[in-house]
Amino acid sequence: MTAPPRLPTAPSRRALLRAGLAGAGLLTLAGCRSAVEHARNAAGAADAGPPRRGGVLTVATGIDVTPSLLFAQSANTLIQRLVFNTLTRYDDRLRPQPELATAWEVSPDGLSVTLRLREDVLFHSGRRFTAEDVVFAVRNLQNPARSAQLRSTAAAVTDFRRNGDFELTLVLAHPVSNLFDLFEFMIIPDRDSVEDAVAGTRLIGTGPFTLTDRKPGSSLAFARNDHYWNPGRPYLDGVEIRIIPQAESLLSSLRTGQTHLSYNVRGKDVATLRTDPQFRIHPYDTGSGAYYIGVNTTAEHVGDKRVRQAIAWAIDRDRLVQQALGGYGSVSSAPWPTSSPAYTEAGATHYRHDPDRARALLREAGAERLTLPFAHTNEAGPTAVAQILQYDLQQVGIDTVLQPTDSPTMQKQLISQSMPALWSLSHGFAQLHPATLAVSAYPFNEAKNSSRFTSPAYTDVVQRAWNRSDSDSPEALELYQRITDVLLEEQFVINLAIAGLIEVAGHRARGATLNKFGYLNLDDAYLTA
Amino acid sequence: MTTTTIPRKSAAPGGRYRAALLSARGLTGLALVGVVALAGLLAPLLTGTDPNAQSALALAGPSAEHPFGTDDLGRDLYSRVLHGIGTDLALIVTAVPIGALLGCSAALLAASSRWADLAVQRAFDLLLAFPGLILALAVTAVLGPGRWPVVIVIALAEIPGFGRQLRAGILVQREREYALAARVGGASRARVLLRHVLPNAVDPLIVQTAVALSLGVFIEGAMSFLGLGVRPPEPTLGSILSQSVAYLATDPAFAAVPLAATTALVLGFTLIAEALNRGIRR
Amino acid sequence: MRTFLLKRLPSGLLVLVLASFLVFLILRLIPGDPATTLAGPDAGPAAIEAIRSELGLDQPLFGQYASWLGRLLSGDLGPSYAIGGQVTDLIGNGLGATAQLTLGALLLVVLIALPLAVLGATSRRRPVAAAVQAVTTGVLAIPPFVTGVLLVLVFAVGFELLPAGGHESLLAEPDLAVQYLAMPALCLALPSAAVLARYLKDGIERALAEDYVRTATALGVSRRRIVWRHALPNALPSAVTVLGLQIGHLVAGAVLVERIFAWPGLGQLIEQGVVRRDYPVVQDLLLLVVAVYVAVQLLTDLAYTWLDPRIRWE
Repeated sequence: MTAPPRLPTAPSRRALLRAGLAGAGLLTLAGCRSAVEHARNAAGAADAGPPRRGGVLTVATGIDVTPSLLFAQSANTLIQRLVFNTLTRYDDRLRPQPELATAWEVSPDGLSVTLRLREDVLFHSGRRFTAEDVVFAVRNLQNPARSAQLRSTAAAVTDFRRNGDFELTLVLAHPVSNLFDLFEFMIIPDRDSVEDAVAGTRLIGTGPFTLTDRKPGSSLAFARNDHYWNPGRPYLDGVEIRIIPQAESLLSSLRTGQTHLSYNVRGKDVATLRTDPQFRIHPYDTGSGAYYIGVNTTAEHVGDKRVRQAIAWAIDRDRLVQQALGGYGSVSSAPWPTSSPAYTEAGATHYRHDPDRARALLREAGAERLTLPFAHTNEAGPTAVAQILQYDLQQVGIDTVLQPTDSPTMQKQLISQSMPALWSLSHGFAQLHPATLAVSAYPFNEAKNSSRFTSPAYTDVVQRAWNRSDSDSPEALELYQRITDVLLEEQFVINLAIAGLIEVAGHRARGATLNKFGYLNLDDAYLTA
Repeated sequence: MTTTTIPRKSAAPGGRYRAALLSARGLTGLALVGVVALAGLLAPLLTGTDPNAQSALALAGPSAEHPFGTDDLGRDLYSRVLHGIGTDLALIVTAVPIGALLGCSAALLAASSRWADLAVQRAFDLLLAFPGLILALAVTAVLGPGRWPVVIVIALAEIPGFGRQLRAGILVQREREYALAARVGGASRARVLLRHVLPNAVDPLIVQTAVALSLGVFIEGAMSFLGLGVRPPEPTLGSILSQSVAYLATDPAFAAVPLAATTALVLGFTLIAEALNRGIRR
Repeated sequence: MRTFLLKRLPSGLLVLVLASFLVFLILRLIPGDPATTLAGPDAGPAAIEAIRSELGLDQPLFGQYASWLGRLLSGDLGPSYAIGGQVTDLIGNGLGATAQLTLGALLLVVLIALPLAVLGATSRRRPVAAAVQAVTTGVLAIPPFVTGVLLVLVFAVGFELLPAGGHESLLAEPDLAVQYLAMPALCLALPSAAVLARYLKDGIERALAEDYVRTATALGVSRRRIVWRHALPNALPSAVTVLGLQIGHLVAGAVLVERIFAWPGLGQLIEQGVVRRDYPVVQDLLLLVVAVYVAVQLLTDLAYTWLDPRIRWE
């Protein structure tokens, strides 16, 4: 027969008590120093009188950098202008201002541009910056593997004429109206370490900060570049970028003062901070926040542009902005933000919420009860947007089947032009010179786009707007108007609303700015006491 | 400890179960599950409002028109929660039995031979070791969004729990006096297993069922949270909850109702299982 | 014991090989490929083809699988595709953080479950038992992502006691690290603690109903002694199984918890890897998770057989 159950020694009550005490002891030890205070004071000792030297500014972001996309416009563009510099930078009215280039002259025929460069610039490696580095930077963007959106503009540069170490003439195959978009976009890397840079192991530039530590998925740490060419800058001793993927947690980190600055707070959360005196909020028209419905023009039913126009009339854009973007955004049926030379009131308000008109157009097109597939990315925000659009479409008799898709899958479908009939996404590049949108942003690209839309008229007007040396003459504005007209008429991209990046700064962070591509500039930033 | 009786399944299990369910604990559990489940099943009768109808009135508090207020897209929360309960029940009531059946079959198979035991054990390990996120992603990616991927992921996640509980029970019972006696008495291995060991190893499975049902609700929620759940705009408790998380600080009432429904459901299942468990042990 | 290990080790290895195969296939079943995420949103097909051939993704599947296994066996996991850096470094960093989190949670699970279970099973006062019941059920009834956000709102935003998220090294700053660890570990531990407490309580109650307990009581052994010396040890074997299962849940739960608390562990890494289709990172990481799990199961079974001698070494 079996033995009676053995009675092994159990953890005695005393042992348990001991374990409990050890745990309590650990917490008592923790009581000595508060991590909350520690994080808040990491910026250094208090010292009145702005702008103040010293301190570490902590920036919260929802998404890590992708090293391979260093030279492209991607979801995280915080590091470009911290480690690197560009040749020029735009002011609020798209007029270039000096950065590494101190002066420039475009030839009257628009076929060359001569740049005068700063002579006192050193790379973090100690090497001096010369014209040769600009040549390398342009060639670097011409490399398709860099996936630079402004590659077409870089590719228009066919020759380089050096005049000493600090003067350079770029020779162009044809005039381009968005040349200074390129100079705003193109960061100047150290040519010896560029492969390390795209592999994510080493970043060497001329910028105000040097990368000291990267923990993928977690944080990036930067230290002050003591040899920075801009005298007395930067004020900060260092910068830390913390990656906090969960939107609620990102918001909490700002609320508790653990982080000082973010451009990744959702509009609806910003709305809740608006009344909080602890925060200063500043919207930029930069970024890829132009919401649109993409249409695959080769799919059934939506090949008819009346159906596409009906969709444009069916959407209640005001409700979209209120409910999905927390009111941070402006309704627009054209892609351009108000700062764009192509912006017109008439274009922005061309399509309004008019379900009857939508139904009439659908009747006219003989497409009264439709069921269409509708793809969207499966994060919370885009899912809410898609549901709003679905409901509005349903009201005019277009049923949609939502297809939540994860971003890489969506991207693959976009690039391979295998999208379903409808999808919703957001795009960038409309905040620059208008030609950039049509030659660089994939949704609008005249040669190849995910809508599979082609039209000789569109190609013609885009090429004429791009192949010219000026960007603000009456003829240029006329061409932009014609681009807008084609877009509004054809509706292969149905623009809904424009929401740029929103800067949310805790009360201590001052002086941060973004360039037109969303590169974070902290040259003049400082922390108050 | 001289004589060894061979326990069999009690003569009238139905009576024991009934008695167990009529205990205070069992009645509370039944009431909770009953109320929530009825609300879910009768959703079309209890509310005439379309759970997917949107309006400009977002995040509104309770009113005569919207007893629980509205969500961030101006949809009626009362209607969404009721329909969400229905969806959740349909999902777990399909998925948990599938998982239990597969898990228990695997455990019985394991009991048949040493090799089978090894194979089944390792299969469970593999299933358990695989992070649910990856599993969910793969299943959703292959099947597309909808109810079935959620059912499959829940069922897969439940298999090892049931299987291992039953296996552990069989291992213990098999070495007990009565089982040894039966074997010595010439009963075949399968007969001992099915007639004597299995009925006595069933107890932990009942606790497991309660945990499995609640786990199912959670897996559905986690999948919704990661954007892998049931196709929007169909409401589920998980999708409403994960939607409301963004508003916990500003509009806590949004989360309160789906949270209460989830809690009641899970609490109810647990109480029922415990009542049954006690009844069986008595 | 030696025969036990001899029997179990080969089968463990077999699980790993099977897992490697599954991992490799599943990743390629998921649509979207690393080249597109590397190339960025506005890339042309030429750029993507160039990247695909650079990464060897244009090779036949079997060749890709073989070269992965080769890298694994050589011990040099190579560079990641999209995240940047060497896979070994990425996993090393994440492993440290996740180990802290999981072990912290495991400690909490036992510290919470054991007293609760004993209290619940032995208290003669009904309100106490009912309270234990309510706590374990209540905790189980709230999804972890809600618990996490609630914890942050209460302890970080409301009372400003603990940081909302993030991580400090336990070696460099132990006192700060514990505070960063507290909430994520608690959030991760609560559901498992509730499950364990429940099983343990059941086990103790069942053991208390056994004959030998009655005999012991009749012989005048104190109730306290019966519970701690007799009932609890007999409830432990099945509790250990549950704990072993819960370790799996802890690792899986880490994905959600690490996300909510911005904890730079393997859960975050795996999510990053999946989102960017970083095949090397995800493959190596999943295999590691399976390996750790298999090892934990081995230890669980050892503990199980050690705690309950009625089960023979098989």
